[in-house]
Amino acid sequence: MLSLTGLGKTYAGGVQALAGFTLDARPGEIVAVIGGSGCGKSTLLRLIGGLDTPTTGTVSINGETVEQPHPLINLIFQEPRLLPWLSVCDNVGFGLAHLPRAEQVLRINEALCRVNLEAYGDRLPKALSGGQAQRVAIARALVTRPEVLLLDEPFSALDALTRETLQQHLLDIWSETQATMILVTHDIDEAVSLAHRVIVMKPWPGRILDEIVIARPHQRGGADFDQARARVRSALNHSLSASAPADIRKGRAQHSSVLETSP
Amino acid sequence: MTIGAAEAGLGAGVGDGRADTAAVSRRASWLRPSAGGWGGALIRFALAVALPLGAFLFWELAVDSGLASGRLVPPPSRILATLADLWTAGQLADHIASTCLRVLLGFLAGAAAGALAGSLTGYFRFVHAAVDPTLQALRAIPSIAWVPLFILWFGIFETSKVVLIATGVFFPVYLGVSTALLSVDRKIVEVGRIFRLSGFDLVRRILFPAVLPAFIVSLRAGLGLGWMFVVAAEFMGASEGLGYLLVDGQQLGKPDQIMAAILIFAVIGKLSDALLVGATAPLIAWQDNFSRGGL
Repeated sequence: MLSLTGLGKTYAGGVQALAGFTLDARPGEIVAVIGGSGCGKSTLLRLIGGLDTPTTGTVSINGETVEQPHPLINLIFQEPRLLPWLSVCDNVGFGLAHLPRAEQVLRINEALCRVNLEAYGDRLPKALSGGQAQRVAIARALVTRPEVLLLDEPFSALDALTRETLQQHLLDIWSETQATMILVTHDIDEAVSLAHRVIVMKPWPGRILDEIVIARPHQRGGADFDQARARVRSALNHSLSASAPADIRKGRAQHSSVLETSP
Repeated sequence: MTIGAAEAGLGAGVGDGRADTAAVSRRASWLRPSAGGWGGALIRFALAVALPLGAFLFWELAVDSGLASGRLVPPPSRILATLADLWTAGQLADHIASTCLRVLLGFLAGAAAGALAGSLTGYFRFVHAAVDPTLQALRAIPSIAWVPLFILWFGIFETSKVVLIATGVFFPVYLGVSTALLSVDRKIVEVGRIFRLSGFDLVRRILFPAVLPAFIVSLRAGLGLGWMFVVAAEFMGASEGLGYLLVDGQQLGKPDQIMAAILIFAVIGKLSDALLVGATAPLIAWQDNFSRGGL
């Protein structure tokens, strides 16, 4: 069980990125966090991942407070961030140095199979496409068998087809591992099609505006899906136009229309 | 012309354009270091030596035909004869060996000290703030300025020479390692942190491999300065070495000996650099380099 209580972060210089964020994610739940740029989504993941320290509030997993990177929590970044000097196998096994070699090989092969890259183990990252590299990054996070997987817009840099394939991969992985996932995204469709719950955030400072529970299973393009998407979009529009200083709101209006026209 | 014919013509034009591009890329492909086969290597070698050989041939013919006297700038044949004389007299190998040994010792000492100091200032902010300004000030001192002091401190023999060379090697290696560490991408350091690496493990598994390419470049720059500083070191009063051949040639008015020594510096300097590049290439084969295409 992942619990966030009154989580807040104020950076040096007084910029308040996140305030009073409270969330309990059940084991095996996929929670999507959506909102415009600057509403503290990435900050939220960095705090849960232990990469930054919260100014207020706490993060805890199974009752244990998280103050630095935790073995049961792993983070998949927006870019693959593979280590270019290591082969695909060594990248995937990066977090397994403490295990015996035989166990490492077993887990690496298992993770590579999960992302359909078993034939690519000896390659260097420079020989991979963007989608393959991101799959390696997913395998690298899975191999440590985390209870909580944090995903920071993991498919945003990929083409539409690859993105859909990887979203399906992620659901397959979730059904096998039953990991809790916190997925930060800009994409309404991605949030609605993957998550059990969508949290819409509001900027300056980042906080929860709305929470939409998605009935599952549902089919992309079905009536339930369209209804949920309309609710998220409406909340998101509200988030993007609310509480911004006038000059920023003007810039945001353009951003909002981009989001609205996204498929 | 019908539309179909126009399209056909356009198609042919595009096709020709592609053929031209392909021809250009074929023409230039053997220039790429990755171009395989002995043929490509031979052509690259021929291209590399064409300029110096052409210059030598020109000067040889100019002196031979009486257009130039060749007294102060001897022709290549006379330089080669001097080299052969020095070699048969048994001195040349000793001169080369003692110079190489000085460079090797100075390089090892300077590179080790530079890498250590660079690592400490690059990793620890406090050490950087406390030490880097002083080292940067010392770096600005011209090499020759150290000579009198090193002679006073370390005597006239080998130690002062090796220390001078090590001083020359130290700074580029220090600067290379320190700067590279300070500019390691935060994003890959975070990958290490998410897997709970810290301290020595973070250095060994993330920072060291990340700075390795810059470290190797700094070693090459250091080695180049090592060859530069060995001349200054051997001017301090050596009785053997290539620098000694230079001084001896100047004092006895033997430009052919000076040029012979310069030629050897060029050859062994280039060879040592190629050796360093060759030995370290497998360590950085993972880099996703830009390979130049075209001439």
